[in-house]
Amino acid sequence: MSSFSSVYLDTRLTVLARRLFSFEQLIDFIELDLERILTQVRQHTGYDYRVDHSNPRLIEGQLTNHALDEFLILIRPFSGSERRFLQFAIRWFELVNLKVLIRGKFNAIDSDLIEQQLIDLRKFADLPIKQLLETDDPYEMLRLLETTAYGGIVRTARRVYEEHGNDLFLLDATIDRSFFIDLHHHARFLGSEDAENVGRVLGGLLDRFNLLWLLRYRFSYGLSPARSYYLLTKTGNRLHSAHLLRLARLDSVEEVVAALPRQYRELLANVAGISDMETVMEYYSLSLAAESLHRLPNLLSRTFSYIVLREAEVRFLQALIKGKQLGFENDLIRQAVGARA
Amino acid sequence: MWSAPQEMRKVGLYMVDADAQRAAMTLARMAVLHPLEGPDGETLPENPAAPYHEVYHDLNSRFGKISGFIRKPLETPAESTRVVTLDQLQALDQQLKALWAQISALEEQIRRQNEKIAAIRQLANSLQKFTSLDLDLGRLRRQGRFLRIAVGTIPAENFNQLRSALSLTQFLIKTFYSSEGINHVVLFGPSQHREEVQDLLQSADFRGLVVPEEFSGSPRQLQADLDLRSEEAETRLAELQQELYDLIDANLAVLQSARDALLLAQPYASLGNVLKGRGGLVYLQGWVPARRENEIRQQLDGHLEYPFQLEFSKPGQQEFDRVPSLLKKSRLLRPFQGLVKNFGMPGYREVDPSGLFAFSYLLMFGMMFGDIGHGAVIALASLLFVRSYPGVTIVGVLAGMSSLFFGFVYGSLFGYEHVVPALWMSPMHDPVQVLLLAVLWGAGFIVIANLLAIRNFYAAGQFEQAYFSGKGLAGLLFYLAAFYSAYQAANGRFGWLEALVMAAPMAVIVRFQWRQSSGGLVERILVVFIEGLEHIISNVSGTLSFLRVAAFSLNHIALAAAVFAIAGMLGGFGHGVTVVLGNIFIIVLEGAIVAIQCLRLEYYEGFSRFFNGKGRAFEPLKFET
Repeated sequence: MSSFSSVYLDTRLTVLARRLFSFEQLIDFIELDLERILTQVRQHTGYDYRVDHSNPRLIEGQLTNHALDEFLILIRPFSGSERRFLQFAIRWFELVNLKVLIRGKFNAIDSDLIEQQLIDLRKFADLPIKQLLETDDPYEMLRLLETTAYGGIVRTARRVYEEHGNDLFLLDATIDRSFFIDLHHHARFLGSEDAENVGRVLGGLLDRFNLLWLLRYRFSYGLSPARSYYLLTKTGNRLHSAHLLRLARLDSVEEVVAALPRQYRELLANVAGISDMETVMEYYSLSLAAESLHRLPNLLSRTFSYIVLREAEVRFLQALIKGKQLGFENDLIRQAVGARA
Repeated sequence: MWSAPQEMRKVGLYMVDADAQRAAMTLARMAVLHPLEGPDGETLPENPAAPYHEVYHDLNSRFGKISGFIRKPLETPAESTRVVTLDQLQALDQQLKALWAQISALEEQIRRQNEKIAAIRQLANSLQKFTSLDLDLGRLRRQGRFLRIAVGTIPAENFNQLRSALSLTQFLIKTFYSSEGINHVVLFGPSQHREEVQDLLQSADFRGLVVPEEFSGSPRQLQADLDLRSEEAETRLAELQQELYDLIDANLAVLQSARDALLLAQPYASLGNVLKGRGGLVYLQGWVPARRENEIRQQLDGHLEYPFQLEFSKPGQQEFDRVPSLLKKSRLLRPFQGLVKNFGMPGYREVDPSGLFAFSYLLMFGMMFGDIGHGAVIALASLLFVRSYPGVTIVGVLAGMSSLFFGFVYGSLFGYEHVVPALWMSPMHDPVQVLLLAVLWGAGFIVIANLLAIRNFYAAGQFEQAYFSGKGLAGLLFYLAAFYSAYQAANGRFGWLEALVMAAPMAVIVRFQWRQSSGGLVERILVVFIEGLEHIISNVSGTLSFLRVAAFSLNHIALAAAVFAIAGMLGGFGHGVTVVLGNIFIIVLEGAIVAIQCLRLEYYEGFSRFFNGKGRAFEPLKFET
């Protein structure tokens, strides 16, 4: 990347980073009504978000689209393996569509209803949404999906479906697992400095998902230690293979928490329940990304961190606004956005 | 030379619901209506064609999926007046839905069969590694009380994770062969963990080598067994494929009916969001060419069963942005219209510059590439594309003729400058005069572009822009004044009069820009200053841009001279070959560059001055073929 592009990207990242909400700010939004939330979001981000009561999903699309517009600007100065890594990372958004499609078709939900739940990813879209919606049965959709860039992920999802039926968590976890394996694979082609810096943020994410999945597979689904371990993804910062193998052998959530590396043990010491642990781990992984974005000089890592943080922010705001639009109680919204922990 | 797109009328057709499809088909046959979404609101709240559109869409989608399997060509329907009812469409859709369910099930079986064959092949590969060993593979079937052994394949990317996971069950796994992303493995461990391992292997997509019950022999025998299984699987696959084709053949009549119905239903179905109605009354609106008003009335009179009301109205100025542009048809100009559309569609009241574009493009091409021989070759070679790309032939022949004409003007034949006497002179003899002429040509081109811009502003009712803007009359006067002043300055006669004739129109432009700009005082000053400067620079650079017309005519001769210089160093045969190859090189490479340069001059120095290209193409309702 030229020095001009570096300065440009650095400035862009700094400006965009200032527009991100802190976790505390987002939590405070829960107490506000929808209009005040939107006023604050407009003031803070400079985007003109609008609510259309006849089309409640409009605002969700706006949130995603603004984020994608920013990503498009941010990845432009990159080339080669760096660009490919970032482009793949942005596919995380499309996985949401993939999951909606698979769940929807297997539950025989009407195509119009499935379509309403999909995000319009414009230039980032790889999935042939129109043809997928026009499929008449789930297997036809899977055959079509297998011809897309998500062929590998879909083949694995098909196997899980055939084995376990339409279990939401297992299907989601399988898709996410394949995504992280591929993302990790893309990270291997980065230069050593980039790989090291990106690895810190990516490692935090991998630790978070591995721990959550391990707990769920072992104690919610009662899978064997070997199988639970096998279904995890690549290893992250602190939870290496040996750790995870040891954790998989344990017989209760408490034992697992007690056997975690010190930092995670302290984080989860007073947290009860796997859902709340998930939130705490998510917050922790996002704090690593925030640190990388605000404090480290590596531009690739900062861009990746911004994508991670922005995705989480969009997800939070979408859930919050949906909750407000549907008139849910604040406690319920707090639970839905994971703010209880 | 130039014209505006065809005069249009807004049409509103009130009719009864029962006639709506007939009206759509009649108008589609005539290809005269560019449909316009009807007014929303309480007056006409219903979308009578929407259910029809939905069923049509489903049927079309299913037919599209099935059509990939049809091996025999379907016939084109002979009639185009039959009305396809909603019930008929629905019935066909149900038939195709049932047919597609059968096809999809067969497709799924074929997919599984293919997977099975791939797995057998992988196992056969695995087994080949054992054939040289005298090993009793029967042991794989006869699992011991304490030890379990398995042989099979897994995707390579799953291996490491599986190996770690197996360590939790005290099993060991070893790859003995690896190829094409597949690991051929053997694994063994205590029988007590058999079930746990079985689940794990399933997750890892392990495909085990199954030893048949009756088997008790060597790997070679097992290979024969696998070959047999593979053969059976292939046979089954062929049967499934045949079953699929038989199914399609057995349903050809239904598919033909569906295709016919789709073709006939398409015009009405495409009005799904356009047609508005209330209580059996339907309203259809759109744009039609003004000259076909009477014909439309007559055709509807002849085809609709019930009374209807037809209204035509001239588009108001506020509607000009929404009126589609229908360019006048001309076989000769069609390829040039394509190049114009490449830049953008002329707006409804804008000039269609196709004629001017064709004339100036061909003229510049000839000026830049003037050679009797090269022109003749281009014209003749273009005839080769007369069937496949008739547009290329038209442009190529005309460009070739222009080149040929200027070849006579310059006295140039395949680069030889002294064989044919020049009607005027070779550009090489007086390059300065040629450069001067190019600048004059450019100035004339820009003046015409400016006049067209004024005409377009005027036609669109933008009178202030037409008179006072940089692209309007003030801009034109400034340009002419600048040209006159430059001429006077070159002759040492630049004085207060010259300065005044330039300053006066510029003052008008600046005042206009000042009134158009908004923001703070400093910002407005900055904007007006920069825009004024930009206006001056663009006029100068635009005019000088036409120097390339002269530069390429000189370049053409220089290239030929280079070819002859090389040929001159060679003897008889070599000389001839070099001249021929050199000329081919000039025709292909320089010809292409000149063609692109002409296009560049047209787009950036011409179109961008008078043509915003934001028009909407006239897209009539018609039968798809």
